[in-house]
Amino acid sequence: MALLKFETHKIAIRAIFANKVRSFLTMLGVIIGVSSVILLVAIGSGLQEYITGQFKDLGSNSLFVVPGSQGFQGDPGSAFANNKLSDTEYKNLISYLGDGIETSLVVEGSKQAKYTNNTKLIQINGVDSNYFRLANYTLSEGEKITQNDIAGTTKVGVVGPTAVKELFSGSSPLGKYLTMGSERIKIIGVYNSKGGFGGVDRDNQIFIPYTVAKKYFGLERPSTFYLSIPDSVDKDVATKQIKTVLLKTLKAEDFSVVSQKELLNSITGILNALTLGLAGIAAISLLVGGIGIMNIMLVSVTERTREIGLRKAVGAKPIDILLQFLIEAVALSSLGGIIGILLGALGSLGLKSFINTSITPWSVIIAFGFSAFVGVAFGTWPAYKAAKKDPIEALRYE
Amino acid sequence: MVKAVVEVNNISKVYKMEEVEVPALMNVSLTIKTGEFVSIVGKSGSGKSTLMHIIGALDRPTTGSVVVNGRDISKMNEAQLASLRNKEIGFVFQAFNLLKRTTALDNVELPLIYANIHEKERIKKAKEMLIKVGLEDRMHHLPNQLSGGQQQRVAIARALINDPSIILADEPTGNLDSKSGRAILDILENLNREGKTVIIVTHDMEVAREAKRIIKIVDGRITS
Repeated sequence: MALLKFETHKIAIRAIFANKVRSFLTMLGVIIGVSSVILLVAIGSGLQEYITGQFKDLGSNSLFVVPGSQGFQGDPGSAFANNKLSDTEYKNLISYLGDGIETSLVVEGSKQAKYTNNTKLIQINGVDSNYFRLANYTLSEGEKITQNDIAGTTKVGVVGPTAVKELFSGSSPLGKYLTMGSERIKIIGVYNSKGGFGGVDRDNQIFIPYTVAKKYFGLERPSTFYLSIPDSVDKDVATKQIKTVLLKTLKAEDFSVVSQKELLNSITGILNALTLGLAGIAAISLLVGGIGIMNIMLVSVTERTREIGLRKAVGAKPIDILLQFLIEAVALSSLGGIIGILLGALGSLGLKSFINTSITPWSVIIAFGFSAFVGVAFGTWPAYKAAKKDPIEALRYE
Repeated sequence: MVKAVVEVNNISKVYKMEEVEVPALMNVSLTIKTGEFVSIVGKSGSGKSTLMHIIGALDRPTTGSVVVNGRDISKMNEAQLASLRNKEIGFVFQAFNLLKRTTALDNVELPLIYANIHEKERIKKAKEMLIKVGLEDRMHHLPNQLSGGQQQRVAIARALINDPSIILADEPTGNLDSKSGRAILDILENLNREGKTVIIVTHDMEVAREAKRIIKIVDGRITS
């Protein structure tokens, strides 16, 4: 039987190569399906790796206060549109919480920045002096924003490598003034590259004291408070304390307190759902590919009726004929699966220069397994039809 | 006493066509002994093809029994019939029925694949058979590169390869010119002289006369 199976394989493979163009067109559905599953999952996993990596930077001791009642799980758009957070709450937190807790806030905006003849739209982040440590920013030259700068509303800023390259043409910006609207900000530091993702360049930012952001740029609503809780303080207790302080000026639905872990979980959850959804849509094309295979196998069985009759006359049992056509269908879909995996992998490697992609082993295994399964599922009926053919009728078939 | 290779005992074959029963064979009995050269002759629609299909284990009778080389085929299932065809029957068809896109050698090997013979052995045997039918220099040709007579010789080599008890030829000269047809009949005669049982099914009395025994069939019954 093993020998027979091997021969049946050879017969099936020969049939595929005898009709190269048709076989390729038949496989195309599976190729497109598998490669898009691989590619989309690679993009999704890459996105996830990148984002979770960024949040892991923040450390497991971090707590965040964000606008809206559901943290990152609700509708972030309306949460930020109805943002009630302000520096009042921030100042309250600082004065009520213990000394061990480090805090910062961030207010965000963007502005056209100009130095000599160079202009560029730059992201403005108004922060407190602790921000650089809490969000894991390190400097390559110069100094950070200090408590004095905050208190004195000093117009100073720390810029990223992109700003240095494009606005200051690569020369050191320290001591130079960047013009933003009607304000002139003195550059006191440059931070190390944080990389970028998709359209977001995290090296194209300027950090300024939040007091400056509020006074000169009208940025009043913080998007996040960062709090770092020491190991000695229980996080649940700290969370309760933070809520109590915030409830003095805000309503419960105006804010939420989330931990780094919760934040990671909810982001991972959203990204997983997104990845699965995209992969599911791509998998539909695999199904269409399977129908294409069934269609061609049915045509092929009819076309080869005489061959089936002859094979039966010289001793092929029904199971031999069934296996011959089933193996042909599975070989078609698996070959399509392999080509699809290679194309999907090539595609995600090609995208690597633009966005972070990560080819996951499970997506490769599932995509290949599914394509082989498609061959079995859609090849069985045509193969069964072939095996059932009456040899006499089949030999007479014109 | 010479052993019987085919024993047909009082068989009938009835086809059902939309509630109407059409008898193709009625109470047919015949015995063919090992080494005989028989032709079954009859007009189209006489039932000779049905009889050939039943002797060739491609079909089963409605009633009666058919014993091929000591085994009753009327009770066999599809797989058993296939195995019997593989080992005991060598078919030669009017339209040759070679696999396109497959060389003469591969065509001849085909029955051995279903007999689970190893590739080396298959190639060796197939070459021997092609030499036997005079096609040693055509082994790697495709069917469409061969003449009709050559194609039919490939088919005969294929029929012989598993050393069957019976060569069953259905109008073997029907698609050939008289010269190639003659050559094919000569090969069949030679095989019979070497001891093979040969059965030719034909409507052509001239072809039928090549055999040592003629069985005439009219309207589903044997008349002589």
